Amino acid sequence: MLQTIEDLSIGVWVRESPSIFAYTLVLSLHAIGLAIVLGLNALIALRLLGVAPAIPLSALRSFYGTIWFGFAINAISGGMLFIASATNMGTMSVFWIKMAAVATGMILSLRLKSKFLDDPTATAGGAVPAGARSMAKWSLAVWFFALIAGRMTGYPELITRWFGI
Amino acid sequence: MHSISTALTWPWMQEFVNTYGWLWPLFEVVHYTGMSLVVGVVIGLDLRILGLYKAIPIGAFKPLVNLAILGFILNLIGGIVFVTGTNTGAEFYVENLSFQCKVVAMAIAIANLLIFRFSGLEHRVYAVPAGGIAPGSAKTVAWISLVSWTAVIIFGRLLMYNDTLLYFLGL
Repeated sequence: MLQTIEDLSIGVWVRESPSIFAYTLVLSLHAIGLAIVLGLNALIALRLLGVAPAIPLSALRSFYGTIWFGFAINAISGGMLFIASATNMGTMSVFWIKMAAVATGMILSLRLKSKFLDDPTATAGGAVPAGARSMAKWSLAVWFFALIAGRMTGYPELITRWFGI
Repeated sequence: MHSISTALTWPWMQEFVNTYGWLWPLFEVVHYTGMSLVVGVVIGLDLRILGLYKAIPIGAFKPLVNLAILGFILNLIGGIVFVTGTNTGAEFYVENLSFQCKVVAMAIAIANLLIFRFSGLEHRVYAVPAGGIAPGSAKTVAWISLVSWTAVIIFGRLLMYNDTLLYFLGL
């Protein structure tokens, strides 16, 4: 099945075209998208943990439009990258760990939004609710883990050597 | 070019990186972390200057700029490890068009930030309250910032695919 995916014409194009708009552009977009998603999630988390306290808590939800934009870039570019090397990525344990981490990160981020950032009474005061601080720490940890897992998709042999997976 | 490459090749770093296989991926993770910090702050501040996230007084971003500088320093450290420690010697980077373009883009981004800081524009921008509009010249600075940092990321990613860039440019 993975071979069939990899043989799709879009996969062939991304993988084999010498054009800068194929593999290299898709890779670049993936780096840009991840910087947006991670960077803005980190910004929100850091604010909840007390950095840059002059940013109104009620304003943090306005970053989510941009986060979704970055996520969309990465979903599309990631999909194309996966198709282009489905037999490699599809059988790689650290790739699936990364996907789980990204999913967890997004769920956590959206929960943070719906439970606190969208709640006008919670964000009205200056104080950050304890639950929001805890979620912010988890957000930083999960996204950092996703970053590491993502980078390690370039070193599957190291992952096998160290963890046997 | 050759003397720059020689000066930037540090045998002790090459040995260090060769001995510990986890060092290169570790510093790549450091590099991406620094990048995310820089981009997060750059997007926040620049897009605010350009009119998004209006509920935030622009001065609120000030403490984050120091965080972005920390991110940049992290990346500089990682970059030094890569350039001085790569197996084939620093010429792999120094003679790589993508790397050269990345350095130029970084120089533009930094010069832009320094002009923002030392021209006094920074003061006017940080004084803009919630709902307020940033001065026109600040918007130019914000655009240059967004474009140059995006270029840094793109050229950084193209490093390993320099042939593709050369092919695109007909070189």
